[in-house]
Amino acid sequence: MQEFFQQVVSGVAIGGIFASLALALVLIYNAMGLVNFAQGEMAMLATFVALTLINRGVSYWLALPLTLLIAFAGGVAIQRVVIRPVERAPLLALVIITLGLATLLNGLAGFIFGYVPRSFPSPFSADTVDVVGVFISYRDLGVIAVSGLVLLAIYFLLQRTTLGLTMRAAAHHPEASRLLGVRVSWMLALGWGLASAVGAVSGVMVAPILLLEPNMMQSIIIYAFAAAVLGGIESPLGAVVGGLIVGVTINLAGAYVPGVGGDLQLAVGLAIIIAVLVLRPNGLFGRAAVRRV
Amino acid sequence: MTALLELTDVRASYGARAVLHGVSLSVPERGIVALLGANGAGKTTTLRAVTAGVRWSGDIAFRGRSLRGMSTEDVVRGGIAHVPEGRGICTELTVDENLKLGSHLRRDLAEVRKDYDRVFEYFPLLKERRRLSASTLSGGEQQMLALARALLMRPRLILLDEPSLGLAPMVVRSIFDIIRTLNEADGVAVLLVEQNARIALDLSSTAYVLEVGRIAVRGESAELQGNEAVRRSYLGY
Repeated sequence: MQEFFQQVVSGVAIGGIFASLALALVLIYNAMGLVNFAQGEMAMLATFVALTLINRGVSYWLALPLTLLIAFAGGVAIQRVVIRPVERAPLLALVIITLGLATLLNGLAGFIFGYVPRSFPSPFSADTVDVVGVFISYRDLGVIAVSGLVLLAIYFLLQRTTLGLTMRAAAHHPEASRLLGVRVSWMLALGWGLASAVGAVSGVMVAPILLLEPNMMQSIIIYAFAAAVLGGIESPLGAVVGGLIVGVTINLAGAYVPGVGGDLQLAVGLAIIIAVLVLRPNGLFGRAAVRRV
Repeated sequence: MTALLELTDVRASYGARAVLHGVSLSVPERGIVALLGANGAGKTTTLRAVTAGVRWSGDIAFRGRSLRGMSTEDVVRGGIAHVPEGRGICTELTVDENLKLGSHLRRDLAEVRKDYDRVFEYFPLLKERRRLSASTLSGGEQQMLALARALLMRPRLILLDEPSLGLAPMVVRSIFDIIRTLNEADGVAVLLVEQNARIALDLSSTAYVLEVGRIAVRGESAELQGNEAVRRSYLGY
């Protein structure tokens, strides 16, 4: 039983990482109905930025906010330079552009930083603490705390501030929002910046576990897709809940289902995607697409 | 009377299809002007040209300054509220959030609070439903929300596109009463596009009749109401 709870807590920690990346996907999906396939690579590049800062002697807790700022600016820049000129292109074209962007960023990271996996520091000690008989590592607790804070901050921004309100309005009702004086195009850019920063959190949190190299996020993005689809792709809350469920599920499957540890874990993520799409295409929190005829 | 909004020989097209072939009209400061005409005459397009929803040539000036080259956002920020066809309600958001979108650019917070009090005095129903999703409102209630939101923008001019569309006569009457009150109390000018010519002529002081992208008739509303030939040939009642 004790081991079970330990697996659950580690699952929640890894789930928080998935949730951050899933939330990044949802933010962009809401803003323009597009799944950003480059989200993982953007996070990976941001993590290299963080490592560069840390290696230059910047303390971890200064490097993290700096990285998020740089990731935010990078996201805004990508929207302005790459996405905006083709904003009105068919969705498929946009999807292919994000795929191209993913390849480009991956190659760029390989070119600049090389493909040798590098260890990434964690600010949390690997010691464990005994919580009523369950041993939880400070590392898991730290990851849970950081992702929890980030998700709360995003919730607060979107639901409790005027800026968040105009962002949501611009995403769902661009024409009506323009008539109310909302600068829709800039709101989209802000959405990309925000998504990029939230995604960067997942990269920085996962790097100490996986080792940092250009392909680091390629499995994480699959879990993030699973989390976003499970939550209903449009729902920020759904992304978070989906992330936690996916994290706990793959952790438990890895521990208790023979043969699932290691490579087959990714298959569990894919199985979740397929199961949701077949059984409940709108996810846990998505609304059924109703169209008046 | 100085013109608040002045359209001079405005032409507009959707792709290759020309919709406006030189429309000239003016809305005086504090005035209510009706723009009438059959379906497809270009009434909605005329309003959309003002708020940069469609490309246009000729000239459109607001408070003496040309709106040429300005984005929708900048035109609106300059003091024009546009309640579009279909009302432009954000159905993903609550009633309260829709209202906040009306006042989100204003910094005169004390005045904003007073305006909220007035909005809820005009539309007590919206106060009751503040926390509900705007998608739960009926057509008439959504029209009220759209008007309330426009009021909260404190505009100099409101463009109203078919406020009576799809509403029961009782509801239409109360909405038009409120438009008149807004005009008299705040001095907001109104450019009103309507299918329902009778009620539009009642409210307005000047009216234009559009016919296939051109102004066919211009006159005092009271005069047009009395002119049977005009009524028969252009207004259909």
